[in-house]
Amino acid sequence: MLSYTIRRLMILVPMLIIISFFIYGGLELMPGDAVSYMINPEAAAELSPEKLDALRDSLGLNDPFIVRYAIWFKGVLKGDFGYSLSSGVPIRDIVFDRLPATLELSFIALILSSLFGSLLGFLSAIRKGSIADHSLTVIGMIGVSIPQFFFGLVAILIFALKLHWLPVGGRLMPEYVTYWDRFPHLVMPSLVLAATMTAGVMRYSRSSMLDSLNKDYIKTARSKGLPEWRVNLVHGFRVALTPVVVLVGFRLPTLIGGAVVIEQIFQWPGIGNEFITAVRGQNFPLVMMIALFSVTAVLIASFLVDLLTAVLDPRVKLS
Amino acid sequence: MNDIKKKKTRLDRSFDKIRAREEAGLLKQSKMNRQLRKILNNRLAVGGFVIFSLILLASIFAPLICQYDPLAIDLKAVLQAPSADHILGTDRVGRDVFARIVYGGRISILVGLGSALGAALVGVSLGCYAGYKGGLIDGLFLRLSEIFMAFPQIILVLLLVSILGQSLINLIVIFIITGWGPMYRMTRARMLSLREEEYVQALKAFGLGTATITYKHILPNALGPVMVNITLSTAMFILQEAALSFLGLGVPLNIATWGNILNAAQELRILQESWWMWLPVGIVISLFVLSVNFIGDGLRDSTDPSQQG
Repeated sequence: MLSYTIRRLMILVPMLIIISFFIYGGLELMPGDAVSYMINPEAAAELSPEKLDALRDSLGLNDPFIVRYAIWFKGVLKGDFGYSLSSGVPIRDIVFDRLPATLELSFIALILSSLFGSLLGFLSAIRKGSIADHSLTVIGMIGVSIPQFFFGLVAILIFALKLHWLPVGGRLMPEYVTYWDRFPHLVMPSLVLAATMTAGVMRYSRSSMLDSLNKDYIKTARSKGLPEWRVNLVHGFRVALTPVVVLVGFRLPTLIGGAVVIEQIFQWPGIGNEFITAVRGQNFPLVMMIALFSVTAVLIASFLVDLLTAVLDPRVKLS
Repeated sequence: MNDIKKKKTRLDRSFDKIRAREEAGLLKQSKMNRQLRKILNNRLAVGGFVIFSLILLASIFAPLICQYDPLAIDLKAVLQAPSADHILGTDRVGRDVFARIVYGGRISILVGLGSALGAALVGVSLGCYAGYKGGLIDGLFLRLSEIFMAFPQIILVLLLVSILGQSLINLIVIFIITGWGPMYRMTRARMLSLREEEYVQALKAFGLGTATITYKHILPNALGPVMVNITLSTAMFILQEAALSFLGLGVPLNIATWGNILNAAQELRILQESWWMWLPVGIVISLFVLSVNFIGDGLRDSTDPSQQG
């Protein structure tokens, strides 16, 4: 296990370094003065040109590229992400301010979609070739073909503008109200996000279940004289679930960036929303750092998922 | 296990029918390509192909079926509901929505198909060569594709949009940059198994060059999955273009594309009162993407029996 962990780390760490290198290269290529995002813009505005130059020297901006990169990277490791161009707020504060909103939305959508997706996929697989199976397949296909934002727009029109059941968008801050007051705002974005994710999980769990049903242990279970539901549920589904769980685990970090469009439509104040605003406003440091943050989350999560799979299925370690 | 005897599935019945015809000597020797025949038997794929061609032909022959210019502003006819004059009404500056949808299809399909083909060209040609050669080049491209694929797709696309700026060409380039990775990995994996085949050994013994062996002799055998992948990526890129343009970050707003038309629906008043400005185009996108997905699925079933479920 240790050697496997080390081997995986040997892939993870260089990749993170290369990606951060690209990100820093992007930051350097951006128009504008690097000082503007390395120190608080308000403080920078008060400095005279000579002082700015001295500052540039002391910040190492006149050093060779590699040295500048190393200084920047050290800062990032310590949690110094630089400053947003538009507001002058430290980027780290922005990210950690917005993260709870995104995680709240993503968690609910992830749980709902995994639950329904794996259940429907399971039903589809044990009734393979039936009308129910075919219609579920077609519905799933329709689910991945409708643009997420269009789905969201239709939902807003029906449930918010016509029926007035739910608010159009936004999020109430947890400090001021109880959870039940906040709940209506959460319903539509999380359901729309979950609905668009369910199709993928369903397809995956269907093929995983079919795979599992073809295995020898299913024949063994049947020949023991177990009732069909027990064979399917206890023997088939349980084994089929492992790859689905892995898929779900892998999805969580991609959701940090994956909910971009949904957050925008429902004005959900998460990281994706902030990212769009930053791209629109040419706020490069913020764009770069959110990208770096989300890619790091993905890589670390996939590393953990790999370790988890290796624990669950020892054969993985050998490959 | 006694239910095997009494239960005859749909497949069993159709197989019985074929056997009966075969015994009667009625089964004619089909000259049609086997894969083509298989895909024609897939009703969803055929249906998808019909919808696909309808929308594609409509946008190709746009000038013949639209009487309005998609960009012509008519301030005397602003925000009109559908009527005999304007089948799908007009938008905020009096442009005919139907014409915009039909003409917009040209750009949206161009972006989707162009990006998918471009990504395939880059990914497959690199994958073929590197997969066959192996070694350092292969490892290098493999790591590179891993880096690109580690980003959540939309984050990487938006990151590149903010670096390269917004234009039609840039968007296609960005989609190619984000899309070549999976193509590369798939082709490479195919090459790794195909290069061990005996005919490849024979070609090598004949003294043929690497390029001839890989591109002329091995590549055709790896094309099945590539075709499937191109179809499915076309659907994906069309969805992404729509989402980006909807956010105002895709194709510049002065060009009509499906996403740009939907952009107007960000305003709640339009969403509530002017359904004709966003509902039809949303349905057209969904239908088109659905049809492409059906075709892709049909292609996969006909070229790769192991995927059939």
